[in-house]
Amino acid sequence: MDRNTLTVRTLAAAVALAGAGCRDASSPPLSPTAPTAAASPTGIAQAVQAPDLATLARVIPGFGGFYLDAGVPTVYLLDPAARGPAERALGAYAAARGVTRAEIRVLQAQYDYRDLDRWFQRISDEAFSTPGVVYTDLDEAANRVAVGVEHAAAAASVRGLAARLGIPAAAVIVRETEPIHFVLTLRDMVRPVVGGLQIRFSNFLCSLSFNAARAGISGFVTASHCSDKQGAVDGTLYYQPLDQVTAEFIGTEIADPSFFRNSQGCPHGRKCRRSDANFSQGASGVAFTLGGIAQTTGANNGSLDIAGSFTITAEAAGNATVGQTLDKVGRTTGWTEGTVTNSCVNVGVSGSNIVLLCQDIVQNTVQIVGAGDSGSPVFFISGGSTVTLHGTLWGGNSSGTLLVYSPIANIEQELGSLATH
Amino acid sequence: MRLPVGAAALGWCAAVFLARPVSARPPPDSLRLTLVAPESVRVGQRVPLVLRLTNVTDRPIEAHFLGREIAFDIVVAQPDGAVVWRRLARAVVPGILQVKVLGPGETVELKDAWRQRTDTGAPAAPGEYVVWGVLPTDAPEPLRTPPAHLRVLPP
Repeated sequence: MDRNTLTVRTLAAAVALAGAGCRDASSPPLSPTAPTAAASPTGIAQAVQAPDLATLARVIPGFGGFYLDAGVPTVYLLDPAARGPAERALGAYAAARGVTRAEIRVLQAQYDYRDLDRWFQRISDEAFSTPGVVYTDLDEAANRVAVGVEHAAAAASVRGLAARLGIPAAAVIVRETEPIHFVLTLRDMVRPVVGGLQIRFSNFLCSLSFNAARAGISGFVTASHCSDKQGAVDGTLYYQPLDQVTAEFIGTEIADPSFFRNSQGCPHGRKCRRSDANFSQGASGVAFTLGGIAQTTGANNGSLDIAGSFTITAEAAGNATVGQTLDKVGRTTGWTEGTVTNSCVNVGVSGSNIVLLCQDIVQNTVQIVGAGDSGSPVFFISGGSTVTLHGTLWGGNSSGTLLVYSPIANIEQELGSLATH
Repeated sequence: MRLPVGAAALGWCAAVFLARPVSARPPPDSLRLTLVAPESVRVGQRVPLVLRLTNVTDRPIEAHFLGREIAFDIVVAQPDGAVVWRRLARAVVPGILQVKVLGPGETVELKDAWRQRTDTGAPAAPGEYVVWGVLPTDAPEPLRTPPAHLRVLPP
């Protein structure tokens, strides 16, 4: 696959996933001819690296492609009987693999590699304008140009395109294939920013709860204790996902109400709030999706891979009902769900004199919360991917089978009215 | 209270995250979690317990902890496994993840004491007990020490 000296090739629409996109079942693996630095730090792989395809095309008359077939060096030639130049060019490489020159396999080529390369370049330049094209490839294991498409309509378009470009129909293989997506996790940089993603401040990691507009200012909500000082506006700077650099800066805390004492039901000797939530103004130039929450591959399956998104369409009016199923998405345990076991309970925060009033508790027999899940949006799935926002997760028990969240009504009571969808 | 050197200091090489603390699989044996506990105490006596997390490598290691104040659990159980006392029983801990870099050889100590009360508040009876420490991280499984044996002697 090391053909870059001939032309620079874009393998797929999703360039970062080129490995998946350019190889097919009949193609050789990438590593024998294109060892990476990481895979061959000692240079051993370099010693067995095959000549690049551009070189082979130059020194082997009638060269049509080269690959490993079950480990055996295999070369396409327009004239298979004229194998001498191929043996000379590939002999050392074959020997390093324990294969004699005579054992190098020669296949009948239909097309010269340089023609294929020209056609490949030509169709690559045009093909990605066709909806449904996934990848283009000079398939040296097939001695053809290959185009991966999502559906039959795209296949027909590609064949028409090849004809218009003067590429022989027989030289193009059109394969239907799955579309290729970036696999992002809750801990990766994701833009636009949505709920459930990992965020960082100082030396702490939490989860972003939900995007919102407050008094005309766009931003997001997370747990108040996920700020430099809980219960005070301290201008905490938030980054998504991890590095405290400009490119990952997403916002600044601008609202975090103070604790109160000796009133409104706050137990004697304690300081209280009704929510563990703050609001941050979104950084300029950073896109946020109002109502968006990252959706992973399934509830309680441990996956952090983002597979879609939930959409907030409503907010819960008050506390949840005991027995109700609620879900959350957070950077540590992903998408989890459990059953509401306690509604509107006053909860003392371990290791502090803080009591959070009228919180809801969700439990399960499996882990549903972990370190770093603070801030996770808690919601009810009302149908498909539409959800009703219930609040912001802030704590759990040590085994992770119980989570506590602040109801959205409490959050808005303290932060003021929020537009969340 | 005497803390016998080596008597009940039990080590457990644990896993941590390096560099970007988000996805890399942790290298084995980079952190060691140990529990220091006395071998025996008199009934009613306060039992000091110390968890020690040590970077046993020669390079800085990024460790992840639950809580702004590091949350850790200590479990006291009967020899048959029945839990008598758990430090974080019924505790609700803020789910914030703390990232802390430990230098080569650096140790974090987490201290508490068992007041020889059960989770229901009743006095614990003299006898044999098993004690272990648990350190939650953002990994699916927390770090644990191997069990130490504690004898509570009659007055």
